Amino acid sequence: MSAPAIIETRGLIKTFGGSGNEGSAVQALRGIDLTVRRGEFVALIGPSGSGKSTLMAILGCLDTPTAGSYALDGRQVEKLAGAELAAIRNEKVGFIFQQYNLLPKATIVRNIELPMLYAGVPRRERRERALSLLAQVGIPEKAHALPGTLSGGQRQRVAIARALANRPALLLADEPTGALDSKSGREVLALFQELHTQGHTVLLVTHDPAIAALAERRVELRDGLVHVDPAIAA
Amino acid sequence: MKGSGAFRERLQEAWIELTENPGRSFLQALGVMLGVASVLGGFSLSDSQRRQAEHIFARTGGIDKLNVFPTDTIADGTPSALANANLGLRLDDAIEGGGVPSAKAVNAVAVQRRARARVRSEYGDQERDVIGIGADYVAMNGYSIDQGRVFSTSDLENGSPVAILGSQAASVFFPTGDVVGQTITIGAVPVRVIGVFHELVFRFREGQNNMFAWRNRQIWVPSSLVAGRMSGDQYHRLDRITFRVPDLHQMADFSRELSALVTSNHRLQRDFRLDDVGKRLRRQLSQGDIYNIIFMLSGVLALIGGGMVNVNIQLASLKERVREVGVKMAIGATGSEIFKAFMTEALLLTVMGSAAGYVVGIAFSWTITRAIGIPLSLAPMSFLLATAMAVVFGFLFALYPAFKASRQSPMEALRYE
Repeated sequence: MSAPAIIETRGLIKTFGGSGNEGSAVQALRGIDLTVRRGEFVALIGPSGSGKSTLMAILGCLDTPTAGSYALDGRQVEKLAGAELAAIRNEKVGFIFQQYNLLPKATIVRNIELPMLYAGVPRRERRERALSLLAQVGIPEKAHALPGTLSGGQRQRVAIARALANRPALLLADEPTGALDSKSGREVLALFQELHTQGHTVLLVTHDPAIAALAERRVELRDGLVHVDPAIAA
Repeated sequence: MKGSGAFRERLQEAWIELTENPGRSFLQALGVMLGVASVLGGFSLSDSQRRQAEHIFARTGGIDKLNVFPTDTIADGTPSALANANLGLRLDDAIEGGGVPSAKAVNAVAVQRRARARVRSEYGDQERDVIGIGADYVAMNGYSIDQGRVFSTSDLENGSPVAILGSQAASVFFPTGDVVGQTITIGAVPVRVIGVFHELVFRFREGQNNMFAWRNRQIWVPSSLVAGRMSGDQYHRLDRITFRVPDLHQMADFSRELSALVTSNHRLQRDFRLDDVGKRLRRQLSQGDIYNIIFMLSGVLALIGGGMVNVNIQLASLKERVREVGVKMAIGATGSEIFKAFMTEALLLTVMGSAAGYVVGIAFSWTITRAIGIPLSLAPMSFLLATAMAVVFGFLFALYPAFKASRQSPMEALRYE
């Protein structure tokens, strides 16, 4: 375990509501300690309400913790806000959503270019990288199609290509096969495994034990706490 | 987005967004278009009207003139003995008026004595207006000689029996066209025709009657001839004295000194009236300002109305676009990037709305000026004002929705269904 930590959280707490007039606060995370090292393929599992989505949002820098510390790729991010968080999301994190979340009015290649656009990558380089990523996920011929004309599996491949655009330290996938039929689901998972073998760090959130079984390590949340983590048990 | 190409990228993005939603974009641009059209159309209309008014003054000899007219001093009841004994406006007033201290600003003086007389030639016998004039009159009133010559200095000094005819008068009294050198009889005095003036034509609008027709009907003689042989007036009384003061800043001084002089000449009776042509013109033209304000106001109202519509449309469409904003933020767009994207759309809408507004506004004033027959005048200032207002309002009303979009939490935006 000498690889550097990509994710390192200590005592992450997230509380919703609280002091206001909505009554008692809800503690979604009650002190999460989690370390994910470079190159790992980790599945985050747990029943609904266990805090998976909340943890996912904080790990992806979409939200900030109420308390605790979080270092992403060696940078403390728990105190950052607004534009700084946006920059971290842009450079360090590649999101893959259940609903793909492609921009419907932009072509496939432009969708993939978008994170690079925000990062200020020059036009020509952007285009080249987007096209090569599209080839990498196996659908180079769809560059100028609109997302609406693609199948679900193809759309998720585009989303993966977009997530890879800025060579992020961490790929965060939230139920990436949840909206796909089993065949395309298997293909997308195979793509994740391939990315893992290439050295990418993947954190995959799922409630499906069969999918979680593909990961080399399964972290289970329950009631806002880490219930099972082989890295600690070992 | 960073770097020099960022604006172009945003424009491209905004263009896609607008063209993908043509109905919405049209409604948003409509307000801007109406505002610009209203301001531009209104301004160019009143500008055209103003140009035409300035034109008529230029044709009648300019605005740098001060007229003196005789008036009745009898306010009510019977006139006083003093008033009765007064001589009224006369040649001495004109001569002495040219000698007051500020009179060095005066570069021409014209006098006029009007008479109604029976005029006879071989071919005609009619009542006509006969105008006795002095030096400078011809040039100052926009006349020019068509045949023959104008009065010489000795004609004017000696009251020679000579006349110049207006173009219409010439064709009535001498239909053969052989005019100069012929004799006509004015009252009982036979005079020799020495010239004919060019026909004067002025129409406010095409197709309208010639407003200067009456001037072509007149007959001119030296004012000394009228005083000496026609009305036997040894005081040489006048109907009008006109001073030309090219430097309009000197007008007020001169007019005050002249007024004092004539009042004292007339034994302190205010039996005359001063008429500053430039002042009168400015007063008339300032009435046009009211219309400018009205057009400006209606333009502003259209822009405000359109702006409100824009805010509503933007806020409504924001609901559709919440998820898109969330996605963009998740992959690294900052709040300010989202803000700029929305503002770029507003800029594009403003530009397109203004362009359409130019076309509609110009078409509007072109149609109206054509209908009333005056030439269309488009001042660059109107374009500038209309555009400036469109930009101000376009941006003002885009600020709130753009701000709202930029302040969304990416978490909530992504969860939004």
